Amino acid sequence: MSTLNQLTSLTWSSFADKPVLETGATVFAFLAATRIARLGRNHPLLNPTLLAIILISLGLEATRIPYETYLHGADVIHFMLGPAVVLLAVPLFRQRAVIRASARLIAVGLAVGLPVGILSAVGIAWALGATSQTILSLAPKSVTAGIAVGISEQIGGLQTLTIVLVIMTGITGAVLGPIIARLARIEDPRIVGLAMGIASHGIGTARALQISETAGAFSGLAMGLNGVLTAILLPLICGVLGFAR
Amino acid sequence: MLEQIARVLCWLCVGEIAARSGLLPIPAPVTGLILLYADLAVRGKLPDELGVLADRLLQLLGMLFVPAGVGVIAHLHVLKAEALPILAAIVGGTAITLFVTMVVANLLVVAIAKRRERAPGKLEGAVSDVNS
Repeated sequence: MSTLNQLTSLTWSSFADKPVLETGATVFAFLAATRIARLGRNHPLLNPTLLAIILISLGLEATRIPYETYLHGADVIHFMLGPAVVLLAVPLFRQRAVIRASARLIAVGLAVGLPVGILSAVGIAWALGATSQTILSLAPKSVTAGIAVGISEQIGGLQTLTIVLVIMTGITGAVLGPIIARLARIEDPRIVGLAMGIASHGIGTARALQISETAGAFSGLAMGLNGVLTAILLPLICGVLGFAR
Repeated sequence: MLEQIARVLCWLCVGEIAARSGLLPIPAPVTGLILLYADLAVRGKLPDELGVLADRLLQLLGMLFVPAGVGVIAHLHVLKAEALPILAAIVGGTAITLFVTMVVANLLVVAIAKRRERAPGKLEGAVSDVNS
């Protein structure tokens, strides 16, 4: 019995300084989440990131490990987010022929979708009495999470809240995209993909890919450009609206 | 491969310096993204190993948000207290964005198609321009 106690205390203390446990738990949770999503035929509601977040949260709750301890350990994974966002340049570069061929369509889609995306969400939240911190966390909701986190920090939102709101937006766009396309009688896959990428980033893109390869390509492209442009423009828009930090 | 990792980290570092010095109000990774794109545009082609690196890492992108996302448990009270404005903003805002973007983009496509109908000679020129 005492050996068992010794073993557990030894195990926990030796794990505490090393990120093996937290990193391992994150990878394992995401793997499990991916399996669950696959069982559900990758339905947008079964988003692996959201499932993994829930699994880890439940795990932390059960083991009473504080979030800070976990984040400290899982920092290795968190760090990779920066280089991954930089690497988003690669799919954009691969699509450069598409950008050139449909430059006008893409430019118009972004010129409309980017401000409408921000202002509609901010406007609704403001009208319904959300706090300014929540509004600022919501503003980059249509942007791919890696970039949205940076924007949120820049304008004074809560990064962790932004991530969850971004995922919720992605799921919403993935579900609503094909429905709204039908309602608006839009069949051009370029337009459907463009709108889904602008409104609902990577999760929308994954759904657009199921519609067609063209829709997926336009969606991914729109996601990347929307992310970069929002990162440049949102701090300016926030300043104009009087939400400057 | 090491060269490509260094390339990515180098542009990320430049972005970080620009952000921390207050030079650019843009998240460091986004500056890095723009610089990497410019780098590739200048070279005119994508190094194979950089493509492999991007494919591998971006496949795992969904996992990279998990540690930061778990932090939302600290803000569950915000989600609960402001559930209505948050849900309305997400569902309403996303629906409006999708609808308006699709309708306006469609107007443009229809307008271009109509103009091409009127001037079919121009159409061929435009298409060959696009493909070249």
